[in-house]
Amino acid sequence: MIAISGQEISKSYGHYQVLHEVSIQINQGECFALFGPNGAGKTTLLKIFATLSRPTAGQIKILGRDAVKEKDMVRASMMFLAHGSYLYDELNAIENLQFAMGLRHLTPSLRSIASTLDRVGIGAFSGMKVRNFSAGMKKRLNLAKAMLAQPHVLLLDEPFTALDDSGIALMQEYIVERVTNGGAVLMSTHDRDKAAPLAHHAGVLSQGILKTVSSKAG
Amino acid sequence: MNKTMINRVIRKIQRYKGWFGGAAALCMMAGLYVGLLASPPDYYQGEVARIMYVHVPLAHTSLLAYTVLFGGSIWYLWKRDPLVDNMCHAAAGLTALFTLLALLTGMIWGKPTWNAWWTWDARLTSFIVLLLITIGYLMLRTFIDDPEREARYAAVLAIVGFVDLPIVHFSVEWWRTLHQPQSISMRGVSISSGLLIPLMLMSVGMSLLFSYMLMVRTQMLYLVNLLDAKKGRLLSQFHLSKAES
Amino acid sequence: MGFFKIMQWVVWKDLLTEWRSRETMSSMFFFALIVILVFSFSFSMDQQAAQELIAGIIWVAFAFTGMIGLGKSFAVELQDDCLNYLQGCPGSKGALYLGKVTANFAFMFAVEVILFPMFIVLFNLNVIEEFHILLLIFLMATMGLSAVGTLFSALTVQIRAREVMLPILLLPLVVPVMIAAVEATKGALSGDSFALYRQWLELLAIFDAVFMVVSFWMFEFIMDE
Repeated sequence: MIAISGQEISKSYGHYQVLHEVSIQINQGECFALFGPNGAGKTTLLKIFATLSRPTAGQIKILGRDAVKEKDMVRASMMFLAHGSYLYDELNAIENLQFAMGLRHLTPSLRSIASTLDRVGIGAFSGMKVRNFSAGMKKRLNLAKAMLAQPHVLLLDEPFTALDDSGIALMQEYIVERVTNGGAVLMSTHDRDKAAPLAHHAGVLSQGILKTVSSKAG
Repeated sequence: MNKTMINRVIRKIQRYKGWFGGAAALCMMAGLYVGLLASPPDYYQGEVARIMYVHVPLAHTSLLAYTVLFGGSIWYLWKRDPLVDNMCHAAAGLTALFTLLALLTGMIWGKPTWNAWWTWDARLTSFIVLLLITIGYLMLRTFIDDPEREARYAAVLAIVGFVDLPIVHFSVEWWRTLHQPQSISMRGVSISSGLLIPLMLMSVGMSLLFSYMLMVRTQMLYLVNLLDAKKGRLLSQFHLSKAES
Repeated sequence: MGFFKIMQWVVWKDLLTEWRSRETMSSMFFFALIVILVFSFSFSMDQQAAQELIAGIIWVAFAFTGMIGLGKSFAVELQDDCLNYLQGCPGSKGALYLGKVTANFAFMFAVEVILFPMFIVLFNLNVIEEFHILLLIFLMATMGLSAVGTLFSALTVQIRAREVMLPILLLPLVVPVMIAAVEATKGALSGDSFALYRQWLELLAIFDAVFMVVSFWMFEFIMDE
């Protein structure tokens, strides 16, 4: 089944067009890596898939549902991990996870929160205010959010930045796990070495135009 | 609305706006002639009352303009037509203009009549709030970079402001009746039938003038955006070609 | 129900954050304190003048103090892109709005309750008999301010010059709240019979009801592209 489909997506900010008829299709159980230089429109494209921004033209379907008309259903089945890590400084790691899951109508048990925090390697800091977290720790905590929510569709914007080697391995491991469980992953990155081994398809976005799309067997 | 429909609307505006302008000029010239030259001065207020032929139509038209802005804002939030947003933007500027002129002419009339430039009458207060809202609206629009968001936020402000105005009016009216009896109220000015004809002519003329200005301004805002788009495209093409060579 | 759960989470998050940082309340509190002191110096009022002016002073101080709290309400969400997460969550944005209104109302009302004794002491007010009515006035006026204010906090947070634009857009719209609150407070403080200023409480009720509904509806358009 097609998990993510975008057809001829265009986006203009006023009259400055940042995306030109981009079409992407990702099946369940596949990972798509989006490469491209800064300012190519990668984040804009991800925001459109994440229903945070309306496309000027084009159609988006997530798991067969229209992303503009059936926003709620789409949002419930999707998670977007962006540049910012959506964390509140004054709350500790556990509270941040509880709040983030609560807004998605999920109430994970403290036990599963603790084990997820252990899995991303920050179990020892679960009671610490996020204010004192480093960028890498925040990124790990954000990954824990995705692990708890288990979204069918995962959108990742530069997932490997700020992470150390073990963090990168953790992220890669999670992407593979999501994909083998039938999820779909769309990630944007400028780091080919780390993303290429995971991706079933890859595309290069440049000046708002999706240029090369290559697929690898298997 | 798609591009071809927008173009059709713009062409329609281009063709018919002249009729509105011409009709406005005729109505207002006739109204001014009857009001200033062909009618006797007001029994109570003398020559001063003649400013009413301008003031009252200005006040009516500013309310008409804000109603257009309100309707357009709801329409925009519903359909997301960029052209409707251009119309709202145009209507907001005109609301501010007509409201300001209505306030100024009101003050000029008020000085000899009430012996005060200003009084916290319910209408005056509602109009100053209206002016503040529309100025805030125009400021808000200049402070947002993304045009889609600009249009959306502006529409929300216009709608909230429209709902607020009647409440402002009533609150000031209650407040006034509490603090001083309405000895000097605009309502005291009765209009005899001889004055009604120029007033009607001027009101119709001013509304037509507003329609004409709204068309011109909407068209202009649309074309300015189009020009910006062309400029942006050419610039990025230029940079692309420079990068390739 | 999911709607109220989300509202609860937002209130919980805002109150807990505030309890730990005390950032919003303390800045509101000290700002209001300074406003009160400046007023009391600059008017150097006698007993009679105080009775005339005090209601206005109270509400000017509370309205400006409220601006500070409202300005911070959504600015907090901008840090670390939290606003994007709120936007991207499933479910009605109205729940977020009501959660934020509740939190903002709580902050403003708490500051008012702490500060009011200052007014009583500094301006030598007599409040014993009409205390319950004053409380009602404060509740209703603060409700009105936070209902519209929360909407405009969200509206101004992502624009340039947001600190200036919030009061510029908000203050003209809350003119009815200010008039009604000042008149009702004046009535209650001077010991008039309730029937004389009852209409102002009715006006506040109308304003609160109308703008809770309108803002609740409009909030969707602010949060959703």
